[in-house]
Amino acid sequence: MFLHNLLYEIRTGIRTKDVILWLMLFPIILGTLFKASFSGLYETATAFSTIPCAVVENKENELLHTVLDSVTEGEDALLSVTYADENHALQMLKDGEICGILYSDDRLSLTVDEEGVKETVLKSFAEQYNAQQTVIRDTMEHDPMQLQAVIDALSADVSPITEIPLTQGNTDNYTAFFYNLIAMVAMYGMITGLHITIGSQANLSALGARRCCSPTPKFISLAAGLLGSYLVQGLCMVICVTFEAFVLKVDFGERLPLVYVSALLGGIMGVSLGFFVGSINHFSENAKVSLSFAVSMFFCFMSGLMVSAMKPIVATHAPWFNNINPAAIVCDSFYYLNIDSGYDRFIGKLVTMVMISVIFTVLGAVMSRRKKYASL
Amino acid sequence: MQVFKAFLQVLKHKLSTAFVYIIVFFVIAIPMTINGNKERIFEATKLAVCVFDADDTPESHALTDFIGQQHDLVTVENDRTAITDALYYEAVDYVLVIEDGYAEKLENGETDALFSSYRMHDSYGAALVQQMLDRYISTVQAYRTGGAELTDAIADAADVLTEKTEVRYAETKNTAVLSPVNASYFTYMSYILISVIFSVLSPVLLTMNRKDLRFRTACSCLRPNARTMQIFAGSSLFVLVIWALFTVTGILLGGGQISGLAWLVIPNSLLYAIICTGIAIFVAELGVRTQVINMLTQILGLGMSFLCGVFVEQSMLGEGVLAVGRFLPAYWYVRLIDMLRGAIPYDAGEAAMCLLIETGFAVVMMILSLLVHKQFVRAKTNMN
Repeated sequence: MFLHNLLYEIRTGIRTKDVILWLMLFPIILGTLFKASFSGLYETATAFSTIPCAVVENKENELLHTVLDSVTEGEDALLSVTYADENHALQMLKDGEICGILYSDDRLSLTVDEEGVKETVLKSFAEQYNAQQTVIRDTMEHDPMQLQAVIDALSADVSPITEIPLTQGNTDNYTAFFYNLIAMVAMYGMITGLHITIGSQANLSALGARRCCSPTPKFISLAAGLLGSYLVQGLCMVICVTFEAFVLKVDFGERLPLVYVSALLGGIMGVSLGFFVGSINHFSENAKVSLSFAVSMFFCFMSGLMVSAMKPIVATHAPWFNNINPAAIVCDSFYYLNIDSGYDRFIGKLVTMVMISVIFTVLGAVMSRRKKYASL
Repeated sequence: MQVFKAFLQVLKHKLSTAFVYIIVFFVIAIPMTINGNKERIFEATKLAVCVFDADDTPESHALTDFIGQQHDLVTVENDRTAITDALYYEAVDYVLVIEDGYAEKLENGETDALFSSYRMHDSYGAALVQQMLDRYISTVQAYRTGGAELTDAIADAADVLTEKTEVRYAETKNTAVLSPVNASYFTYMSYILISVIFSVLSPVLLTMNRKDLRFRTACSCLRPNARTMQIFAGSSLFVLVIWALFTVTGILLGGGQISGLAWLVIPNSLLYAIICTGIAIFVAELGVRTQVINMLTQILGLGMSFLCGVFVEQSMLGEGVLAVGRFLPAYWYVRLIDMLRGAIPYDAGEAAMCLLIETGFAVVMMILSLLVHKQFVRAKTNMN
């Protein structure tokens, strides 16, 4: 009987239009849109690359040439410089070929077309060059004998910073949108979970009424419903992760099999939450569906699906909420797999997912038992 | 006006969806407006820098103060995982450790290994701070070479390095006529317009096209044209109210600063609202289910926003994405706003072309809706 029920739960699950639309098609479409928009954005907006600028010399300046040579050398050069006349430089700025124009006069000045971190780097360069000029001028005025030593000190290559690498993983923070997308599918598992109780409550569906008067023990039908929903939800999670990893080529790091494990547990957690919401007896089917969508979207919003800054904001002001927000837990598990070299934090998130799943499944089961209907 | 009244009755039941979108949009738009009203004066990007001072000397404090003058100092828990999380989620841009013995090394003229920095990836922010620190140390050492005491050298270096450099804006053709606040608001408005109009109007029209309702109206004395006109009037009223609500709010939030060419946002947004109406009518005439409409709302709203430069600026999108975007109305809507806000050069011919293309989209959607109406709805209501 259990296997019979299970088989039909799976069949009806994968034929439910809601499941196909929201758990299979929608993530694929949204993921494709994310990929189209965010592809290359990390390289363009965040990751450093040499800043192109033009230099307009109103008079020959040997020192400036020396300084510019020092910042334009090597693969990771700070600037790439084009010497040009003013009109050409302005045209290049207008065409977006350069970020700013450095005018060499007594002091360096800067012309830009917009403000941003690249323009700020140019401004900082100009200020530091002007500072050097001031130091040299001061030395000439007060102690000309030391002039060459001061110029040497200013021109010396200094490397005061030792870098401590934090991770070998993918540092593209736009990947968090894809983590959130998988978390959203996991949260939509609430809709799958709802169908278990809607299909077993006589006051909510004809199927529930038939089941209530059938000889199958409620425990058997509920257990088959839960397992069937877990499997259907698992299938949706696998489709989502596979599409992201192999079609959209999202870099989940080196531990992709564990991403699947985490996504499957996230899906089970979503179904358990839906099972619990469905077991609340006082609401109609529509109210339960609306509640599930609202709750899942709230969790996803707080986890950064719509606004990427939400997660760090929550982490700053209410860090406890990220530890109980199911969507944030799923996202964090992917993030830890990608960023951390160890498994401690990842395992912690898996344990949390299992605990939430168990708690809400038990609560749902307790609330579903011993329901009798005097009339329908 | 029975059909018109019935339309409004049905609309009343569907308005809760519109309210959710409207409230969420205003909740996001108003803070955005408060933060975004700036004049066009160059402001250097300030980074969030966290400093761990292991040296704890007057010299290291002076450096921390110097960094604080240039950037915003923030605190992060001194724990590797907390630092990793903060850097990944950009809660902090740069984490610097002033190493123990910094002052002593500086006194001795040493410049190596004075600091450590936690590195997530090569970023412009990191380059900016590193450049600043390199110059700070060089300048201090230059003053020391010139014979100054360390304390004086540090003070002089801080003074000289905080002198401002003149920054001008190029007088290119990219002159903004639309304030940043209004530009952001009207750009995002394209998403909210399609979401509200589509998610409300399509279900209402679906209800009005329901077989039983159509049959009842068809066997009354009301002429079919009058019925269509009354539904059209109801739809127009709803769309105009929604469009006017968002437009007036946008202008008020921007401080009523719209003038001259900036008024082009009005026909631009009105045409876009008409396009959204055309799409909503077209889908409703196809007779799809409400669930499909919900999903189409998300796909169309998010899809056009992502592909056409609403959420991510068009200048940041790849050529392939923009090539697809050109086939969508939101692309031309956003392009005109980009011209008005000075992101791309304003060209009267191109601006007119944007409006014409939007008009074309609106006309095509209306013609398609009429065709579908004739093919599907009339076939469905055929008494045979």
